[in-house]
Amino acid sequence: MFTTTPKLRVRSPSPTTVEFTVTTAPRNTLTRQLVTWSTILLRLLVCGTSLLLLLLKQYPPHTFTLNTHVHACLHPLLQYISAALASRIPWRYLLPSVLAALYIAIFTPGYTEESLLVIRDLGVQISTTTWGGRRSRFIPTSAVRDLWIHEGFCGFEVRFYLAVVVEGEEGVVVVFPTLLPNRRILELVWRGAKGCLYEPRRVGG
Amino acid sequence: MPYNIAMTSDFFYPQPGGVESHIYQLATKLRDRGHKVIIITHSYQTRHGVRYLTNGLKVYYVPFFVIYRESTFPTVFSFFPIFRNIIIRENIEIVHGHASMSSLCHEAILHARTMGLRTCFTDHSLFGFSDAGSILANKLLKFTLSDVDHVICVSHTCKENTVLRAALDPSMVSVIPNAVVAENFKPDPNAASKTHITIVVISRLFYNKGTDLLVAAIPRICELHPSVHFIIAGSGPKAIDLEQMLEKHMLQDRVSMLGPIRHEEVRDVMVRGHIYLHPSLTEAFGTVLVEAASCGLYVVCTRVGGIPEVLPSHMTVFARPEEDDLVNATSRAIKEIRMGRVRTDKFHEQVKSMYSWTDVAERTERVYEGICRGERVGLMERLKRYYGCGVWAGKLFVLCVVVDYLIWVLLEFLFPRSNIDIARGWPRKAARIGEGSTRRDRSRRREALVEEENVRN
Repeated sequence: MFTTTPKLRVRSPSPTTVEFTVTTAPRNTLTRQLVTWSTILLRLLVCGTSLLLLLLKQYPPHTFTLNTHVHACLHPLLQYISAALASRIPWRYLLPSVLAALYIAIFTPGYTEESLLVIRDLGVQISTTTWGGRRSRFIPTSAVRDLWIHEGFCGFEVRFYLAVVVEGEEGVVVVFPTLLPNRRILELVWRGAKGCLYEPRRVGG
Repeated sequence: MPYNIAMTSDFFYPQPGGVESHIYQLATKLRDRGHKVIIITHSYQTRHGVRYLTNGLKVYYVPFFVIYRESTFPTVFSFFPIFRNIIIRENIEIVHGHASMSSLCHEAILHARTMGLRTCFTDHSLFGFSDAGSILANKLLKFTLSDVDHVICVSHTCKENTVLRAALDPSMVSVIPNAVVAENFKPDPNAASKTHITIVVISRLFYNKGTDLLVAAIPRICELHPSVHFIIAGSGPKAIDLEQMLEKHMLQDRVSMLGPIRHEEVRDVMVRGHIYLHPSLTEAFGTVLVEAASCGLYVVCTRVGGIPEVLPSHMTVFARPEEDDLVNATSRAIKEIRMGRVRTDKFHEQVKSMYSWTDVAERTERVYEGICRGERVGLMERLKRYYGCGVWAGKLFVLCVVVDYLIWVLLEFLFPRSNIDIARGWPRKAARIGEGSTRRDRSRRREALVEEENVRN
């Protein structure tokens, strides 16, 4: 919802630390906040309406007190529409459509943000932030064997990916695994990360 | 002018074989001549994804479903999205398919024509006309070859066969034989036994390789010539027949069976013998004969397919593909070797001057030049060609081509070209790059720097 093509942001608070962030969120902070809150609101609205319809279908307004209370809080026009909808639509249409609406509201990805934080002498941290939460993994420098860009089959495409080779692990750890940004971005990140990890320290840099 | 070429076949390393080594050698030599070559094949158990071989040759092992003897299931359209992606990201101009039993190759040629690329096809095998399998295979071949720019065959017999099977115009079929890397097949005069004559057989033990003939001939040859020994290398479903024969005639001490051997061990086995026996029932070219002659072996072979074209007559003894004649021919060869009438020591130099992969690459390059000069064909013209394939088949083929075209349009919409990253080529030696590209490199580097600046701000 409201996402852009993956963009790269580089932050380097100190000469030995670089953070590369690839994100589909809008760049502007205000728009970004606006988008975030409006999507959350939209999701809540869809969930609420779906649940309300289910509740009204199961217990019509006059039979159950709690439900009557809920219903009474609504605006009279909404009261009328929801009650009418709930009574008119049969279960076999209502249930699947409500489930579909819930699924879409919960699982539609918002913006995705994936980052690679490189701290010299300490290690690299790979993280993925989505609507569902944040996952991250830290790999200490001693375990990082190499960083490379390679190609692989992904669905109907061949994509470039940046990977960390970890000591003692069978597979490699893919950086930016969900967004898989294009080669240009990957090359910038690769160069920057390699430079930060392995190149001799610049005096005064 | 250097071309970007994609070699496509179901058969490639790690599986050993003639087609596989042909593709590898040809690709390597074409790269040496300055072209860019990639190889597209299906994934093998131990290998999938994008791989670079040690000399920088790029191989795409596309994940696919294998049905029989490493051939993939013919799905016609399912390969198109990945194929298109690879073609665009590698900037391919020419698609070169190999081996008529490979459905991947046929599909690739169909899609390449839909995308308006130049195509070329190399046929490595001979086929019959009468049994059901061959008829089906021939129809498929006709389908692909009714719209291909050029066809290459490995021998004149193979050309004749292909022209008949696919109803082609003979002028668009060239003959470029296989070659061998003569350095890998040097003779070793001291390895062979001085006291008795050793006959070497190296082949996969299948029906079409004539293993049944071998089973019938070996006991008779052993009976006629008490000092003859056999070495048999290779594996296959007919190995059991050979073993039964050995037990029945108690020939275990005179016939040694080595089982499957790797291609790099072939030379070491060959130099242990004096005569190479090749009882094949059908063969388009027979690279193994050239390898045997290069190792300094006198060759006894059946006169089938393209075999008579392979070696000059003083290196070979021919037999009809039947038991009696094979025994006679082998006896003749044994007699000639005993009397020292064949100069096997000169074979290596002669073979070396006859067959080289550089020569094959040069000739293939000339084919590419030819097809790139030709006119591009529009969709309607292509449909006309396919329609002429047969009463029912023609309509079916036209339907396939139309669907393929629609899928292409859909793919251009779903996966736009602008979103596909262009892959970098393997870095060339500095001498090859020359002056022309340095300025471009510099400007590209400057662009990258500017981009980096932009990103940082």
